[in-house]
Amino acid sequence: MNRCLVPRASCLVLGVLCLVLFTSCNRQAPASDDRKTVALVLKTLNHPFFVDMRRGAQEAADRLGVTLQVQAAEREIDVDKQMQIVENMLQTGIDVLAITPSGSREVVSALVKASGASVPIVIVDTRLDAKAAADAGVKPRTFIGSDNYEGGKLAGEYVVSLTGGKARVGILEGIPGHETGDSRLRGFRDAVAKASGIAIAASQPANWERDQGFNVFQNMLQAHPDIDTVFAASDLMALGAIEAIAAAGRTGAIRVVGFDALDDAKKAIAAGTMSASVAQFPYEMGKAAVESAVKLLAGEPVPADIMVKLEMVTKATAAK
Amino acid sequence: MNARRYGTVIGLVVLCTVLWALTPHFLTISNLLNVAQQSSINAIVAAGMTFVIISGGIDLSVGSIVALSGVALGALLQAGQPIPIAIAGSVAVGVVCGLVNGLLISIGRLPPFIATLGMMSVARGAALLFTEGRPVSGFDEGFRWIATGSVLFIPAPVIVMMAAYAIAHVVLTRTTFGRYVYAIGGNEEATRLSGVAISFHKTAIYCVSGLMSAAAAIVLTARLNSAQPIAGMMYELDAIAATVIGGTSLLGGEGSLGGTLVGALIMGVLRNGLNLLGVSSFLQQIVIGGVIVGAVLVDTILKRQRT
Amino acid sequence: MTTAPVLAMRDIRKSFPGVVALAGVDLTLNAGEVHMLLGENGAGKSTLMKILSGAYRKDAGEIRINDRPAEIRSPHDALALGIRVIYQELSLVPHLSVAENIFLGAEPARAGWIDRHTLESATAELLADLGMDLDPRTPVAQLSVARRQMVEIAKALRGEASVVVMDEPTSALTAREVDQLFAIIKRLAERGVAIVYITHRLDEVYRIGDRVTVLRDGHHVATHALAEVTVNDLVRLMANRELAQHFPARRVKPGDALLTVTDLGREPFLSGVSFTLHAGEIIGIAGLLGAGRSRLARVLAGADRAGQGRIECRGEALTLRSPADAIRKGIGLLPEDRRAGGLVALLTVVRNVALPHGRRLARWGFLPPRSEDVLAAPVVSNLHIKATATQAVRSLSGGNQQKVVLGKWLAGDARVFIFDEPTRGVDVGAKIEIYNLMNRLTESGAGIVMISSELPELLGMSDRILVMRGGRVQKEFDARNATQEGVLKAALGLH
Repeated sequence: MNRCLVPRASCLVLGVLCLVLFTSCNRQAPASDDRKTVALVLKTLNHPFFVDMRRGAQEAADRLGVTLQVQAAEREIDVDKQMQIVENMLQTGIDVLAITPSGSREVVSALVKASGASVPIVIVDTRLDAKAAADAGVKPRTFIGSDNYEGGKLAGEYVVSLTGGKARVGILEGIPGHETGDSRLRGFRDAVAKASGIAIAASQPANWERDQGFNVFQNMLQAHPDIDTVFAASDLMALGAIEAIAAAGRTGAIRVVGFDALDDAKKAIAAGTMSASVAQFPYEMGKAAVESAVKLLAGEPVPADIMVKLEMVTKATAAK
Repeated sequence: MNARRYGTVIGLVVLCTVLWALTPHFLTISNLLNVAQQSSINAIVAAGMTFVIISGGIDLSVGSIVALSGVALGALLQAGQPIPIAIAGSVAVGVVCGLVNGLLISIGRLPPFIATLGMMSVARGAALLFTEGRPVSGFDEGFRWIATGSVLFIPAPVIVMMAAYAIAHVVLTRTTFGRYVYAIGGNEEATRLSGVAISFHKTAIYCVSGLMSAAAAIVLTARLNSAQPIAGMMYELDAIAATVIGGTSLLGGEGSLGGTLVGALIMGVLRNGLNLLGVSSFLQQIVIGGVIVGAVLVDTILKRQRT
Repeated sequence: MTTAPVLAMRDIRKSFPGVVALAGVDLTLNAGEVHMLLGENGAGKSTLMKILSGAYRKDAGEIRINDRPAEIRSPHDALALGIRVIYQELSLVPHLSVAENIFLGAEPARAGWIDRHTLESATAELLADLGMDLDPRTPVAQLSVARRQMVEIAKALRGEASVVVMDEPTSALTAREVDQLFAIIKRLAERGVAIVYITHRLDEVYRIGDRVTVLRDGHHVATHALAEVTVNDLVRLMANRELAQHFPARRVKPGDALLTVTDLGREPFLSGVSFTLHAGEIIGIAGLLGAGRSRLARVLAGADRAGQGRIECRGEALTLRSPADAIRKGIGLLPEDRRAGGLVALLTVVRNVALPHGRRLARWGFLPPRSEDVLAAPVVSNLHIKATATQAVRSLSGGNQQKVVLGKWLAGDARVFIFDEPTRGVDVGAKIEIYNLMNRLTESGAGIVMISSELPELLGMSDRILVMRGGRVQKEFDARNATQEGVLKAALGLH
C-alpha cells in the first residue's frame, strides 16, 4: 500500500507545485504597504471594450501611484465566477473595488461582503439593480458609465433619419437582464416609436457574442426576409450580423447600426458594410474609475454619477 | 483504494501549504470558508457524477439539468409557491431528466455519452424556451438564506454540500443499491448473472445524478438570486474533473465520494489561490487542465504498475 | 534426395502460471505438404501455433526455417519469415473493400496517397492466381462467411508465404464451399507452400492431408503419414492416457429428480436437448468446442432464453426470463469464463459472495453492518478460500477465484449447480479440493451438471456422460462403462 501512496501523492504534489510556482511568477505586483490597491473586476477580458477600459485604468493608476489589480471571468455570462473573484480579491485586502457587474442583480450578494469589509464600491458601465441593491444595503459610492439609455436613443434617432421614417427593423439584444443592454434597447425603442413607419419585426438576445450574433440574425432573416435594418446592442453582435448578411448575399441591402464603435466596427463603417455605431469611451471610463477610487481613498467627495460622453460614429466621422 | 484517496488528500494539503507560503491571505478562516462555499456547487454536482462514473457511465447533461431545474425553481417561487413546494418541484424536474437519461441508456441501450449529450441540448433548450432567454429573478430572504445564511458560522451552502455528501455516502456504502453501483461498473455481465436487475439500477443511478444537479441548482439560484437559463454551462467538465482528480476511475468499478469531495476542494483551492495571487483567469484554466491531466496520468501509471 | 524441411520445431516448451501447456513438442513441415495437427481441447495445438506466429514466446526449444535457426519474438518476425496464420475469428474490417483489406497496412501508395489503380489490379491478380472469384471492390461486410475466409487467405498470401497455418477453417462452411477451399489449398501446396491444418473433422484429415501429428496434454504423441494410420488409431492416440489421476470416490445414490429438461432448444445453437438430473447426481457434458455446451449452461441458468422446450425443477415448470429467476429457483452457474461472468474483479471476496443475496440481506434497502461478512464467513472457511478481507479477487489464484464463484451459490440455497469447465486454469491442489467439494454437494442432495473438456475428469467425476455435438445430445454413456476413446469418438461424430 505504501508503494502506491508515495508515487501518487508526490506526483500530484510536484505537478501542482510546479504549476503554482510557474504561474505565481506571472502574477501582478503584490500590494506593498504604502501603495493602495484598487481592484478592477471586469465582465471579461476577451472583448476590446474591456481591454480599452483596462488600459485607461492602468495608465491612470500608474500616474496616480496606486496599484491596480485586474481580474475577470472567461465569459460575460459567468456571474458566479465573477462573484468568486470579488470574494477572493476582498481576501487580499484591496482598498477600493471597481466592478463592471456581469449580473445587475446577481452580483449584489457578493458586494454585500465588500460593504461588510468597508471597501468602497465603484460601479462601472452597467448599473446595479436599484431595488436589489437597496434591499441588500449595498451603496455604491459612484457610477461611471455612459448613459446607455441616451445612447440607445441616439441610435434610434439615427435610424429614423437614415431610413426616412420607414423601415422593418431586427434587434439583437445583449444578455437579458443586463442593465446596459436593457437601457440601450429602451432608448432605441422610445426613439423609433415616434416614427410610425418603423416596425420592429423581431428582437432576440445574442448574449453579446459575435458568433451568436451571426446565428441569431441568420435565423431572424430566414423568418423575416423583409428586414432592412438591424440594430445590435453591441458591435460584436453587429459584426456577426454583417457576416450573416454577407452569407445571405444581401450586403448593402440591409443597414446595420451597432454600439461601442470598436476598431473593427469603424473599419466596417468605412467600408460601407455598417452604417453607424454609438461610440463609448471605455478608456475614459477606466481612467475615471481609478481617479474616483483615488479620490475616495483620500476622503474627497465624488459625484454619484460620472457620465462619460457618447458619440455617433458614421462614415463621415469614422475617418477621424 | 485507500492509497489513492490518501494521495489526493496529501495533494490538497500540500497545495494549501504552498499557497500559504505564497500569500498570507490564503490561510484565514474567512478565506477558507469562502473556498468551501465556492466549491460547494461543483461538489454537489460531482457527487452525482461520482455515482455515474463508478457505474461505468458518464453524464454530460448535468449543467443543463442545473439550468432547467433552476428555472423551474424560480418559476415556482415567482408564482408564489412556498419554498418546500418549489424545491420539490425543482428536484422533480432534475429526477425526471435523469430518468429519461437512464431509460435511454438501460433499455434503449444508447451509449451514455450519446444519451446525455442529447439531454444536454434538450434540457438547455427547454430552459431557454420556457424563460424566453430571460432570467427569473428576485426571490425573498427566506429562500436566499440557502446561500447567504449560516449556522454556527458555517455558510449554508457548505451545510447543504455536507448533507448531500453524508446522504450520498450512506447510500453508496451501506445499501444494496450502492453495492450494485460498484458491481455494475466493475463487471456488468457478472452482476447480471448474479441476478441483479441491471436496467432498474442503471436508471436509478442517472436519477441520482439528476437529483444532485437539482440540489446544486437550488444553491446556485439562491446565491445569484436569479435563475438563469444559461446557468451551469461547462459544469459537467468541472464535475468530471473533481471526480477524476478524487481518484475515481473513468473505467468504472472503483472510486469514492470522499475522493470526489477532496477533488472539488482541490479545484476550489486552486481557483481561489490563483485569484489571490492575481493570476489571470486564462492561466487559471491552463493550470486546472494541467492538474486534471496530471491526476489521471498518475492514476494510469499506478494501475500499470500493479498489473 | 532429401531437401531440408521448411519448418522444424524441436522440443518446444511453454508454461503459464500453474499450467504446462507444451512439454517438449516437435513438429516438422516439408514444402508443399498439408500437415494435419490433431488433439483434444487443451492439447496444446493453439499454443504451439501461437508460438509459431509470434503471439507467444517459447520458454525453450528450437525453431529452424529452411535449416537455419530462427528467433520468433513477435508477429513481425513471423511475418518476415513467411509464416501466416489464419484464425477462426477472421480479422477483416467489414466496411473496407476486399482490396483494402488484403492490402491493409501495406497499401501501394505514392507520397502518402493510396494508389487505387495499383491496389485493385494487384488484388485482382492475386485473386486470379489463387483461383478465387471475387470482385476487389466489394465491401467485405457484404460477403458470406466462406468468401470472407477466402479474403483472409488471400490476405495471408499477399507477401511471400512459406508456411500457412489454418485453424478450423471449415467450421462455418457448406460442403460446396469446403470443396472450393480444398481446391485452393491444393493449389497452394502445388506452389510449395507448407500448410498446417488444425481440425476436429477426421474426414477432412484424410481428404487433403499428407501427414498428421497428434498432440495430447502438451506432449507430442505421434507423427505419421496418413496412409499408415486409421481413424481409430488416431482417436486412440488422442485420447488414451494413463488415468494416473485419482478422483475422490463417489458413494452417492441418485435420489429424486431435481431438474428435468425436455426438448430444450435455442436456434441455432441448441435443439432437442433432454435429460433429467437427480439429487446427488453428477451429469458430465462432453463435446468439442462449438458443440453447444456453454449455450446449454446459459439457458439453464437463465442467462439466455430458450426458444423451445421445457425445464422443470422439482416438479415445477420454470420460465426463466433472467438470471434472477434461475437463482430464485436454486440454480447456480459457474460460468466458463469466471472473470467475464462469474466475478467482479475489483471487489473483495465478501462482496462477490454476497452480490446475489443483496435483497435477502437488506432491510429497506440498507445492508445491516457486517451482514455480508456474516454471510460469507462460513462459506470462506468451508471452501478454504485463501484471501484477506480487503483483497480484490483479481489477485487471487485461479483455484481460489473458482471457489469464490462457487461460494456465491453456497451462501444461498442452490440445489442445482451448473459447472462450466470448473477446473480450467486451476492448479492440481485446488482441483482436488474442487472435486471434494462437488462430492460434498452431492452428498447433501444437490445435483451437478458439469461441462468439461477434460476426459479424465468427466470419466472420474460423472455418474452419467452426455456427449453433445452440433447443439444436440449425440450419445449418453454410463460413466462406469465409458472409455475416453468412446467419448471422444462420439464427440467427433464417429461411430
